[in-house]
Amino acid sequence: MDLDPALQTFYVESREILEEVEDILLRLGQEDEASQKESLNAIFRAAHTIKGSAGLFKLQNIVIFTHVVESLLDQMRESEISIDDDIIALLLKCGDHIGELVTLVQQNNADLPPDLKESGEVLLAQLKQYSGVSVFEVKESIKNNNGKESNQKKSWHISLRFGCNVLREGMDPLSFVRYLETLGEIENIVTLDDALPRLVDFDPESCYLGLEIKFKTQVDKQSIEDAFKFIQEDSTITILSPGSRVSDYLKLIDEMPEENQRLGDVLVQCGSLTAAELAAAWPQPNIKVALNKQDRVRMPVVQETRSMRVDAGKLDEHINLVGELVIASAGAALRAQEMGDTTLNELSSILTRLVEEVRDSALHLRMIQVGPTFNKFQRIVHDMSKDLGKEIEMVISGADTDLDKTVIEKISDPLTHLIRNSVDHGIESPVEREEKNKPRKGKLYLSAYHDSGCVVIEVADDGNGLNRDRILSKAKEKGLVREDQKLMDKDIDNLIFEPGFSTADKVTNISGRGVGMDVVKRNIEELRGTIELDSRPGEGSTFRIRLPLTLAIIDGFLVNVENSSFVIPLEMVHECVELNGVNCKIDTDRNYVNLRGEILPFIRLRALFSTGGVAPKRENVVIVNYAGVKAGLVVDNLMGEFQTVIKPLGEIFSHVPGLGGSSILGNGEVALILDVPGLVNRVSSMENFSIQSAV
Amino acid sequence: MTTSMAKDNTEHAQLIDEKMEEEQYLTFYLGREMFALGILNIKEILQYGQLTTVPMMPAFIRGVINLRGAVVPVVDLATRFSGQSNNITKKTCIVIIEVNTSDGKQDIGVVMDSVSEVLEIPVSDIEPPPVFGAKIRTDFIQGMGKIRDKIVIIINADKVLSIEEIAMLSQTELAEKKVDL
Repeated sequence: MDLDPALQTFYVESREILEEVEDILLRLGQEDEASQKESLNAIFRAAHTIKGSAGLFKLQNIVIFTHVVESLLDQMRESEISIDDDIIALLLKCGDHIGELVTLVQQNNADLPPDLKESGEVLLAQLKQYSGVSVFEVKESIKNNNGKESNQKKSWHISLRFGCNVLREGMDPLSFVRYLETLGEIENIVTLDDALPRLVDFDPESCYLGLEIKFKTQVDKQSIEDAFKFIQEDSTITILSPGSRVSDYLKLIDEMPEENQRLGDVLVQCGSLTAAELAAAWPQPNIKVALNKQDRVRMPVVQETRSMRVDAGKLDEHINLVGELVIASAGAALRAQEMGDTTLNELSSILTRLVEEVRDSALHLRMIQVGPTFNKFQRIVHDMSKDLGKEIEMVISGADTDLDKTVIEKISDPLTHLIRNSVDHGIESPVEREEKNKPRKGKLYLSAYHDSGCVVIEVADDGNGLNRDRILSKAKEKGLVREDQKLMDKDIDNLIFEPGFSTADKVTNISGRGVGMDVVKRNIEELRGTIELDSRPGEGSTFRIRLPLTLAIIDGFLVNVENSSFVIPLEMVHECVELNGVNCKIDTDRNYVNLRGEILPFIRLRALFSTGGVAPKRENVVIVNYAGVKAGLVVDNLMGEFQTVIKPLGEIFSHVPGLGGSSILGNGEVALILDVPGLVNRVSSMENFSIQSAV
Repeated sequence: MTTSMAKDNTEHAQLIDEKMEEEQYLTFYLGREMFALGILNIKEILQYGQLTTVPMMPAFIRGVINLRGAVVPVVDLATRFSGQSNNITKKTCIVIIEVNTSDGKQDIGVVMDSVSEVLEIPVSDIEPPPVFGAKIRTDFIQGMGKIRDKIVIIINADKVLSIEEIAMLSQTELAEKKVDL
């Protein structure tokens, strides 16, 4: 039998189950007793399912390990072992371990790598401390099971609804039951006469019988099916294999024509399901069941329209097409303007508006909620605070904020780093906190919200804040700041984003892995986002990450130098002034102007890009403001706002600082998108270099 | 029976086709010199125009063009070979070539002074490159083809248009620029 597709399902299913278990475990500590019991049941069922499925594929490693976990869970369920934080942490680790084992199988690694084996043994030893069940006992019992497997009898559940023609065709329903008895032992049989019509409509030649059988046998499914070969055409026969899940039974119940509650009772009567199992899986009272049955007719339709799985590739393709549409419509609008035809102009402006709407809705398709990503951090905080002996509560808000999927994927690492930092350096130990008259339990806030076309993600803690003295001395030590330099508090804080800066005095296993805040900052800037830091000594610090809503299309400002067009991201454009106009005077031949009394350094794009040609009489300065740095870009003409569909420039141009990508203009020409921070950095480093070589 | 024979025939024809294609080359001129390039990699030939220069790049990278929505870099072969570019004329065109890179295929445009014709050069008429004398890096040359007593240089597109090398060259160019200023 080809198990491959089934195995794939097993991988996916086990991961889902493990994630679910993790969620439940993280909640477990805060729950009251009744819901704790329920949660434990859920976890137990999950473990059992994984063990069962793993057994089906003969994945002994998983079976053995899960069995030990399961026995511990069972004892917890019976309240023999009380729930505390340690046991939750242990169970979380066990969950991870099972996940790793599953991954191992998926990678076709038959042998356990030594480190995994070791960690497994450590966990098993810890489990044993609680439950007293050792892995050897389990191995033994499983071995015994294996030995017996060939002649061991298993309980099947057979659900029969004879077709109405069975009697007419000369079959006797009873003969099937007799035949079954030759194959094994019928443990329980319940006859269903629900299909019997009123006496008036009763046809003595028709069969109205239904049977629910709990059948113990050693033969395989095929043989059982063969028993019903003669009637399988017009009868309904469902055979549930041993160890079927409660959900399979529920499905059976739903499929059968009888009243659900009645059938559920019959199954319990049969002994295939226990009343508890049924109740747990199906806790609604009678009325609800009836309602559900009615709802079922309507529900599927509603659910289908609510959400739909779409391949991410298809979505990208769609957004690319919309991008092309934006370009094409820009072209049409340009042409319409040139023609000067009023009607055409009007039509094209309607078109432009519609295209913009289509663009916005298309971009929205890629948006997903940040919630699931945020929840992942619960676990990190939980584990870390345990390791560090801190008490930390994580408060999540704005989990329903939408953000582009790519952005969410890429922001996950920087966020992890920030959160690790907060837990490790920010929040103090309980003792220290009590000394400072703070609650023992530290708080870590993770929130997301929309703010003027951006999404803001905040990581805040109520810890100690940044230690400015230490940062400053460290920066001086590393040569980032001159000894006599006076810095504002904010500037000192921002020093932690400098490359080659790490605040941790001692390297713990949590932070200080060589990845500094500069990497975090760079990652965020790669997403065209910004990060700012707000720290209050003794009260805590807040990291605020500002991200664009999407990566595919931005609002740009189009400028022109000689014959080339360039796009400056509109969000960075502060204002535009005429060079040497009233507000903006060049006093010297140095590269700065006097902008209403303010000194503004500028870059002549014409010179930097060596475009050739002669500068026109009137030049313009686009003043850009980025991360607190103001600079002017001298260009020939200002062309105005432009919907910029970002096209990658390819590998050849990936090393060019100052260029962020390209876009296609309405007339089909390519315009380059300026990467303002890169440009400013490049110019300032070039200038430094030439000054140094002059000296 | 007949269908299977017909199928055989088409398969045979396809086989011949492929063989023929292997021996087909596009000949073109850079200045007064004729070169050849295997046609399998060539996607299309465009009129020269609508080129956007990319600043701070080595001279042989002319810029980028918009190829139906994709931004494609354009390389000037004459500059790449000899360091001198030729004037743009009516006949100048951009040939889009698909090159193999470490991560898949990429399109690159190549400026040619004029394209001539598609010719068959049988394998027997292709000689290995001379050790020196071609005035072009030998690894750029796939072979020397003999056409009607003339010798043309058959270019190895994957080498000449190696993305890795071009990216490296542009990086060094940038570093040099830095010193200039």
